[in-house]
Amino acid sequence: MNLITALKFYITRMTEESGPGMKVLLMDKQTTSIVSLLYSQSEIFLKEVYLFERIDANVRNEGLKHLKCIVFIRPTKENIEYLCNELRYPKYGTYYICKYYFNNFQTLRNFKINIIAKADIKLLAESDEQEVVREVHEYYADYLAISPHLFSLGINTCSQGLLWNPVHLHRTVSGLISVLLSIKKCPYIRYQNSSEMAKRLAEKIREVLSKESNSFEFKQDSCPILLIVDRRDDPVTPLLNQWTYQAMVHELLTINNNRVNLSHVKGISKELREVVLSAEHDEFYANNLYLNFGEIGQTIKELMDEFQKKAKKHQKVESIADMKNFVETYPLFKKLSGTVSKHVTVVGELSSLVEKHHLLQVSELEQELSCQSDHSMQLQKIKELINNQQIREIDAVRLVMLYALHYEKYANNDINGLLNLLKNRGVSDKYVKLVYNILEYSGINARQSNLFDREAVAKITKKLFKGLSGVDNIYTQHTPLLNETLEDLIKGKLSLQTFPYLGSTMMSKKPQDIIVFMIGGTTYEESLTVHNLNKQNPGIKIILGGTTIHNSASFLEEIQHATSGILTKYKNNNN
Amino acid sequence: MAGSEEVLEGFLCPICVTDFKAPIQLTKHFEDFHNDDPEILKSLKDLFGKAKKKILKQDEISYSFANSIPSTTRLQRSPESNWEPQEIGMMRSHTKYFKEIRNMRLERYSTETNKLLIRLDKLLNNLPTDPVDRKVHERTIVPWIDDKDVKLCPICAKSFHVARRKHHCRLCGAVMCHNCTIFLSLQDAKKMTSPVSVQDDSAVSPTSERPISERIVRAGIGLTKLARSPSSGSLNSVLSLVNDSTGSEQHFRICTHCANLLDAREKQKAKHFDKPIVCQFYEKMRAYMKEASQHVKMYNKMWESLNEGESTYNLEDAQALRIKIAKLGENIDLISKRISVLGTRCVENPPQDQELRLHHMVRVSAMIFLKEELLSVQALPSEERYAELQKERQRRIEARIAYERQLEEEQRERSKEQRRKETWNLEIRPIMKENQPNVVLDQSQGWGPSSVAPIMPSSMDPIIEQMSNLRAYIKQARADCRYDEVATLESNLKELQSVYFTMKQSNNSDG
Repeated sequence: MNLITALKFYITRMTEESGPGMKVLLMDKQTTSIVSLLYSQSEIFLKEVYLFERIDANVRNEGLKHLKCIVFIRPTKENIEYLCNELRYPKYGTYYICKYYFNNFQTLRNFKINIIAKADIKLLAESDEQEVVREVHEYYADYLAISPHLFSLGINTCSQGLLWNPVHLHRTVSGLISVLLSIKKCPYIRYQNSSEMAKRLAEKIREVLSKESNSFEFKQDSCPILLIVDRRDDPVTPLLNQWTYQAMVHELLTINNNRVNLSHVKGISKELREVVLSAEHDEFYANNLYLNFGEIGQTIKELMDEFQKKAKKHQKVESIADMKNFVETYPLFKKLSGTVSKHVTVVGELSSLVEKHHLLQVSELEQELSCQSDHSMQLQKIKELINNQQIREIDAVRLVMLYALHYEKYANNDINGLLNLLKNRGVSDKYVKLVYNILEYSGINARQSNLFDREAVAKITKKLFKGLSGVDNIYTQHTPLLNETLEDLIKGKLSLQTFPYLGSTMMSKKPQDIIVFMIGGTTYEESLTVHNLNKQNPGIKIILGGTTIHNSASFLEEIQHATSGILTKYKNNNN
Repeated sequence: MAGSEEVLEGFLCPICVTDFKAPIQLTKHFEDFHNDDPEILKSLKDLFGKAKKKILKQDEISYSFANSIPSTTRLQRSPESNWEPQEIGMMRSHTKYFKEIRNMRLERYSTETNKLLIRLDKLLNNLPTDPVDRKVHERTIVPWIDDKDVKLCPICAKSFHVARRKHHCRLCGAVMCHNCTIFLSLQDAKKMTSPVSVQDDSAVSPTSERPISERIVRAGIGLTKLARSPSSGSLNSVLSLVNDSTGSEQHFRICTHCANLLDAREKQKAKHFDKPIVCQFYEKMRAYMKEASQHVKMYNKMWESLNEGESTYNLEDAQALRIKIAKLGENIDLISKRISVLGTRCVENPPQDQELRLHHMVRVSAMIFLKEELLSVQALPSEERYAELQKERQRRIEARIAYERQLEEEQRERSKEQRRKETWNLEIRPIMKENQPNVVLDQSQGWGPSSVAPIMPSSMDPIIEQMSNLRAYIKQARADCRYDEVATLESNLKELQSVYFTMKQSNNSDG
């Protein structure tokens, strides 16, 4: 169930199938990001792939007939058209076409998937007048594997008016199906009852499963389960400031396909404008991904010390023996120096941002808002922070959002007062409106589990435990709702009312392989949760996926999109 | 935090506390500015000497640390990577269906092309030189469409008149205007139908069973027939001579449609032979890389064993292999360099952007290969060091044996309870003595046939014969770099030698 391995298997198969010789990889936009997440340049060179071209590039040059071309595309209509053109005037010697799983039942409901695939293949075959195509295959690699247990589909705003955008629903279905096929699982489906979107997605998935039942005939001794949940049930997690390395980098600097753009940092050197943070190729990152910021500072220091030791060694090249030693260890040294400067820069940037925006202060209150119920004190603190000009607008807005989510039904709540404060501070209208939007998106009526009460009750016991072991970190009090859901599921105690099975079949055994999919995007904090659950429960494998991986900024965008075009009752009530 | 640390650790001048980046600079600074105090200078130099020693020691530590990085991380890896091995996911191949459709479609083209080629061949065969005769000849092979049936040119749709006359395509017999026809020179036509090129094709195609080759054979059906009668070939050449002398009507008039079909076939044929020089270079480079990585694997094994002080492999062998690897590395470097500059000096036909990029990438990948695979090859211990290592190992083994013996002994002692200590001492000595000569024999005999051979030169003892055989094998294996085999063969040889030795000794004692 390792997603990265699954995709690597596919890519390796593609390159092996074409035999030895120089190769060029022809991709579209999405496959490019899939491949770039998996391999570093030197790794892909080992597979004899030397050139990377985009199928939608307009440049038509003479081409290199002695190259083998591996075409790796999603079979969208445009891509097939591009490919037909390419085959009519081939640039390369031979072609190996690898496509994704795809289905178009949204528009052509009556056709079986195979038939549509066949129509495309026919089109391609007819374009291949020069007989350049050797192989045509369908591979199910239609998702972005971020870590072994985490995938994303790269859809930033999947819903409109709180319902599926049809294009994105189609993309999500094919993405999820390809996850299932690539790890060879045919799961039972459970979905979140309160969410219309979850239900619809579940139905679509089952439709494909039953249509393609012969593709899904795997030997299964484990009991896989697909759990579809909706972001709307837990709007708190993506709003919080994060303190573990990966999540923090995403929150403050934004990770995009494992790449972090640092070009806005002052005085940054050229090679650090964009850094790659990939657990596959960067051991330091792999080891520190889930550590919190304090620990990272410690390990970074260790890394620095080690580096300095080596650097000193390299400064002193006096004798022939030194020189020899230098040459022999230089590649290692060079690699290390790359890692050091990269992480030092990133961590430095993070800490300067934390300091500049007083994020520790903000985060403390955020955690209190999400885990404790002390209304008057919290209200007081929020007011203070809103009036503090050093706090970013966006942070102030997030605090008000958390407050609104928590105390929506509280009799004496002062949402309007806070909003007025925001307005007085000159916070843009867009943000103020977002506070209403989030209530619409995920107000108390939309949630099926009681986010804050749950925490309040659980908190007491947790506090006791934490008090005993003495490691109460005020910045990481919050645990995502997903943790509880998954723990229940593992124990077999997940409520059938809130998470019903689709169809009448029910699983008798406790689940072993769990695939969780979060509509509306998941977060790195939840990824960490899943990682910990995997660690705590040997024998149980959990994979987490989402339409995208959110940080607070992208989540606010998601909310704005999701709530566009619907009447907001909250606004009317409150104005 | 790290910044302040660094300053403290730098090469500080103890008097003015400025950081000099290197010891040389610091000493120089000291000599320049504070030379009034020779005592301090001296102590400073001493300090450096000590620091140097320390750093040198640290070298080894940090080096081993670098080696141990991967192992430590493996322990720390996420639980996900410990999940049981998985197989490749679902796949579906559409190749068969694709080819079905394609063949169906291409069949049509290929039969048409075949027809044209057969006709072309017939036209060329016994082509009369006289224009009138020639026209008759052409018309008997390809029936021409009646002029009267065609009012407009079927391609450009213009009407015919005195200035725009009707012409027939010699291959399909259709009528069209002059502008819509093309002349196919006799030479080209001959090239197309020439049996030589067909034979070349078939010489290439059997090696690669591909649909393309099938099609060329398919297209060449009529031509292979021709190839069987060599007379026609010679006749063609005679004919061409005649044609050349007349100088007129050296081509066929054909329509664009037929020309396209013939063209496509020519291109296909050309593709078979089109293999630019970069491919050859590249293939060679890959072959070297493959060889090199095999050698490196072998070498690492040998290196480990040698560093342990084992005598499974020869030190000289390892050295030879190292040199071989270095040579391969040089070759790879050279070829990749040549690829990277390939064609850049060519003025008329400069390589295009993409090609340059490709060559550059190949070069980069070769560099990475060299860096990661070959530069990491560790140096061998020197002869003396190796001897030391061996001795160390010997000592370790002996110590272990002695220890085991001792344990055994103690057990025996315990079981037999009371025993005098003197006997125990006496017992162990002979054992040690027995052990020693054995070892010496092993080592001295390693490559010492010279001491054995002269003693019994005449009698072709089967053992000697076998030994010489073995030596030949060892030589062969060594030449092929199969050092594993060398090791096993050598151990065989040693056994034989020791057997032979004991036999001889017993013979000697007998006689």
